[in-house]
Amino acid sequence: MARSSYEYPGYDRSGAGYWSKTALLYGAVTAGALWMTLPFWWALSTSISVDPSAATVAFVPNGVTLDHFVTLWERDDVLIGRWFVNTVIFAGAVTAFNLTFDSLAGYALAKIDFWGREKLFLGFVSTMMIPGMVTLIPVYLILTKLGWINTYQGLVAPLIANPFGIFLLRQHFKSLPSALGDAAKIDGCNELQTFYKVYLPLAKPALATLGIFTFMGAWKNFQWPLIIATDQNMYTLPIALFAVRNQYFAKWGLMMAATVVIVAPVIVAFLAAQNYFIRGMSLSGMKG
Amino acid sequence: MATDSQRGDGTFQEAVQEATLRERLGYRSEQDNLIGYLFVLPNLVVFSLFLLGPVLYALYISFQNWNILVGAGTFVGLQNYVQVLTPLPWANNWKPLRVPTANTFWWSLKTTAIYAIGTVPLQIYGGLAVALMLDKRVRMKKAYRAAYFMPVMLSGAASAVIWRWVLSADGILNALLPTFLEHNWAGTPTYALGGVMLMAIWGGIGSNMIFFLAGLQNIPEELYEAARIDGASAWHRFRHVTWPSLGNTNFFVIVMAIISAFQVFGIALVFSKGGPYYATTTIVLLIYERAFQEGEMGAAAAMAFVLFLIIFVFSYYQYRHRDQQEVDY
Repeated sequence: MARSSYEYPGYDRSGAGYWSKTALLYGAVTAGALWMTLPFWWALSTSISVDPSAATVAFVPNGVTLDHFVTLWERDDVLIGRWFVNTVIFAGAVTAFNLTFDSLAGYALAKIDFWGREKLFLGFVSTMMIPGMVTLIPVYLILTKLGWINTYQGLVAPLIANPFGIFLLRQHFKSLPSALGDAAKIDGCNELQTFYKVYLPLAKPALATLGIFTFMGAWKNFQWPLIIATDQNMYTLPIALFAVRNQYFAKWGLMMAATVVIVAPVIVAFLAAQNYFIRGMSLSGMKG
Repeated sequence: MATDSQRGDGTFQEAVQEATLRERLGYRSEQDNLIGYLFVLPNLVVFSLFLLGPVLYALYISFQNWNILVGAGTFVGLQNYVQVLTPLPWANNWKPLRVPTANTFWWSLKTTAIYAIGTVPLQIYGGLAVALMLDKRVRMKKAYRAAYFMPVMLSGAASAVIWRWVLSADGILNALLPTFLEHNWAGTPTYALGGVMLMAIWGGIGSNMIFFLAGLQNIPEELYEAARIDGASAWHRFRHVTWPSLGNTNFFVIVMAIISAFQVFGIALVFSKGGPYYATTTIVLLIYERAFQEGEMGAAAAMAFVLFLIIFVFSYYQYRHRDQQEVDY
């Protein structure tokens, strides 16, 4: 979306007014960006500094060491590797199930003309308003009855249903022309093939957006694993961090090393998919 | 997308006509009904098992004296609700809101309300301001956007640990401040909630920025051009083009922010475990303690429903009063 200056009559790129405005703009966004990123820098610099205290790590560590990470790796009561794998399994499975089920449902609600479809859609969307805490207690009791406490299926199953995902994908499928599907059907595709071969590839930006959202949400999820994973073998990283914090409170080097391990993968994933993400958001019918 | 007529394809044309006809007659085949429901079946199953079923179950529990050790208890009617809501602050000269231990529910409701009032507007309009700035021709737009989005990627637990470090007695904030302003920011009842709010604003601006950026990109450039030609100032372009066009984004963002503000839990628990002296005990934290530490599922479920009602009222109000002006391009 190029907005070059010559397109607009009366738009002046020179003069004191323009430059002071520009300086103000850059000053404001830079100040904000520093506020956003400095805590990350402090966490990183604390995690690699020899003897972390405020005076030394305010801006740069005094002496670089990987000791805190090594300690994290070697301690018997800190199963950082296991927790990392748990979190990958948890977030990966939740994301895979959500993308599959939400795209099926979103497609049906947008493109298949079946009885009660609008009411069903409204029903799905209105469940977004139910606070997690209302269902938390009964879901916990149900999973206790199923014997799924401290299991992967217990962690994953309740998070498969995601009204936001259905909403996002339904809006996106709706924005694609129906004629495509009709053409596919004339060519002999059944509904599943039409969905899979014609529409799904066109929904890639929306799928990427939902994928990042879901993965990040699960990776960060604190409330649910805290309830369901009481055995330390089943911890995910956020609650493991909570447990470590209780035990090693004020051992800031260790705490920050753990934080860095948690944050790094998500940041890398985001930076890799950033283009898809913002495009997907604007294509996914956020305008309703 | 090639238009239909460009294809010159007879069968395709017919298919389009037939589909339009079918739509106009409201015709549905039995097969469509079956396939439609097969497509939504997995979600229907999970929804009823883990969302709708549990909501009804929670309602049932809230009328019971249900302890986690004993299991299902006796039906006690509205007793849980009465217990949670009394003493009514106005019947007791508002005392529960001033003394944390007198009735933790009202206290935590106040704490949560302060948190919501302090964070929601800043999260939303901070996000809008950043989106407006980064929608312009700014160099290194991508790097800036990534910077603002970084806190969103952090789990509440991790950001609570980082901020605890920043705000602790030997933390960075104190290192930067002159000695007479030094505090144990996170460990003092007066400042702890402020710390949680600061953290929430820090973590909330990025996601709203993304929503607003998406909304801004959906506004056609021609509207701005027309406004410029008519001599509209930057403020007028914002007031009459940008703002009305963002109506739906605004509604969505406000509702989401309110819902999540009333459900704040993780950051408060990891930051300060609700303390010191109940200063950061939010409603959901209280529900969590009541249910999973004291095992009083009945009372906790009653609180959860009161919270649900509060959130519902807010969302419904937003829905009724949202910008009705529909913008079509």
